[in-house]
Amino acid sequence: MIKFLSSIRLAIVLLILIIILSVIGTLIPQGEQPGFYQNYFPRWSGLILSLQLDHLFRSPLFLSVAFLFLLNILFCSLRQLPAKFKQLRGPIKFTPTGGQPVRDRKLASDLSDWLMVSPDSLLRALREKHYNVKIKEANGQKILIAQKDRSGLFGPEIVHLGLIIIIIGGLISALFSQRIELALTEGQTVDLPGQSFSLRLDQFTTDYYPDGSVKSWKSMVSILEKDQVKKQKTVEVNHPLKYDGLNFFQMSYGFDWDRTKVELEIKGGGSTARGLTLNVGEKFQLEPGLTLNLLDFIPDFELDEGSRPASRSAEANNPAALVEVTKDRRPVYLGWLFYYHPELNQVQREPDLELEISLKKFEAPLFSGLEAASDPGLNLVWLGCALLFLGLLACFYLNYRQIVIGLKPGEKPVFSAHSRHNQTTFYQELERLLEVRPDSAINSDRKNEGKTK
Amino acid sequence: MNEFPLLLISFIIYILVMLSGFASSFGSKAKWSRISYSLAIAGFIVQSAGLLVRTIASGHAPFTNMYESINFLSWSCVLVIIIFQRKFRLEKAWPYLWLLIVALMALVSSPLLPKNVTPLVPALQSYWLWLHVSVTLLGEAFLAVAFVASILYLAAGRSSAGNSEAQKKQENYDLIAYRAVAAGFPLFTLGALVFGMIWASQAWGRYWSWDPKEVWSLITWLFYALYLHTRLVMGWKGKRSALIAIIGFLAALFTFFGVNYLLSGLHSYV
Repeated sequence: MIKFLSSIRLAIVLLILIIILSVIGTLIPQGEQPGFYQNYFPRWSGLILSLQLDHLFRSPLFLSVAFLFLLNILFCSLRQLPAKFKQLRGPIKFTPTGGQPVRDRKLASDLSDWLMVSPDSLLRALREKHYNVKIKEANGQKILIAQKDRSGLFGPEIVHLGLIIIIIGGLISALFSQRIELALTEGQTVDLPGQSFSLRLDQFTTDYYPDGSVKSWKSMVSILEKDQVKKQKTVEVNHPLKYDGLNFFQMSYGFDWDRTKVELEIKGGGSTARGLTLNVGEKFQLEPGLTLNLLDFIPDFELDEGSRPASRSAEANNPAALVEVTKDRRPVYLGWLFYYHPELNQVQREPDLELEISLKKFEAPLFSGLEAASDPGLNLVWLGCALLFLGLLACFYLNYRQIVIGLKPGEKPVFSAHSRHNQTTFYQELERLLEVRPDSAINSDRKNEGKTK
Repeated sequence: MNEFPLLLISFIIYILVMLSGFASSFGSKAKWSRISYSLAIAGFIVQSAGLLVRTIASGHAPFTNMYESINFLSWSCVLVIIIFQRKFRLEKAWPYLWLLIVALMALVSSPLLPKNVTPLVPALQSYWLWLHVSVTLLGEAFLAVAFVASILYLAAGRSSAGNSEAQKKQENYDLIAYRAVAAGFPLFTLGALVFGMIWASQAWGRYWSWDPKEVWSLITWLFYALYLHTRLVMGWKGKRSALIAIIGFLAALFTFFGVNYLLSGLHSYV
């Protein structure tokens, strides 16, 4: 079981599975109503809904694959680690492997001669090249172990640890992060649930570029604790406010249409036209017994599927006000008044009522859409990201190198030189190392051999 | 002054780099290679000046729309090709890599992409724009080199059988591809995923939203993870590695272009 969970084959299969699921997750629109899938994918909707592919990245299918992937990474690293630590400690007993290539033999004999004749200078030379050097003596054997860029050996494990931490952090975020959407108009204060402080929007401004596009939204906010201002900051996109574990983001803006001020023009009864400014829901007595009631305001009027008035969007594309006039509590005038299309005003009224009403102006307070978020997984994710990147650097750019030389009186020295990447360059490096070898350490028999080469 | 003349000049120079590169496989090799390399440096300098002019004129990073981003991608690719040529010797791959540059520059100079300077929307006003996009595109430039080298590997597959000289050349393509992935993968991880997540958490309040652009970056990343694992752990080389590197880059291209034109999401700039 452990062997299966830590196998590279499982890793490959899981990588491919996650790729396939992710592709599907971007092809099927996510988070729509079931009816949407029945309409647009009639043939597949059953499968989509039963496998929960409509929210694929939170579906049991995807999460179990991700969980298996987590286990795979974990067990794979755990299985690799003991061998790597063993390699780091160096061999306890060194036995010659034999059959080394010619190039190895030359290097091997030169380096072992050096070790035999002048071990101190070899150690110094290796340390100057940033090798970690130790000499072990046991059973009459002398073993030199020189290692460089040792963390390079653990590159893959660091990457995998980073990934594990990111996945755990992501899980914590998904389970425990909290988000509160706030829509505040200037001067408004909200209490934050579960917090001892409240947030007040002092000012909200929008800056524009000369071409009319938005340059910035700025919410000047104050953090209040028991009516005392604790902190003030201008929150902008890309510049959140951090306070007591909560982050406040500038997310959106809009008009609070429920608090629209409407100006109506009223003609009738022989009197001259007059303007009247009202809030939605407000009543006004036009003359004794005749009351005007501003019932509703819709910024983008349309009739929905049930022929009921509704707003198509939050933009003022087709503003309309619903006005009722009562005479002695009896409705005598009721209708929708349109700002852009007064000719379409839909009014039911008593025939003898001489009253013309039109929608002249509307003004809604601007609100700033802020989001308060706390995410306890965040720091873990950043830690994981750092490990992931450092691990990758260690994998590709820290080249673990190891030289082992074993000497035993009366026997041929044993030698191995190994680097994780680019063995050729490593040998060139070792040959350059030989240049600083003191003359006394050069075996006179081989001196000429070296020169004629 | 705007950058178009400079980019056009560099485009023409790059065409000459490619032609002289191909010439070196027929005529006197050393001479044409030298000419081709010098021209490449000259073109790179002119294009760099173009980038600088655009940056000064627009007042923001030179990669905020398709036109600017493809220009920056081609600049990054040129940089990577020159680095590879100096460090590893690209040999036969050289002119074919310039074919890629010429294709990118043709796209940059085509009227398909609007070239006007547009002011930055609030979400893009951050120094993370510089970090996220430049490191991502530089990483993708390495992956593009791996893509071309892998295609060359597959193309050489038919002719190299039994010919040790050709086989050696073919193995060089495999090595170039691996080295390019080894450099591109960490950069892509840092730029696209890590910096992307940090920026997203500042601008949108969440570091990961399973937005199509994010998911496709992840898919791209997973393909290269697959490439590295099959190669380094399972010992795959050659044809199968080349295929993964090619599909991986196609995924990167889809992340770059396809997601914007075919899928909708948060990441609607480039």
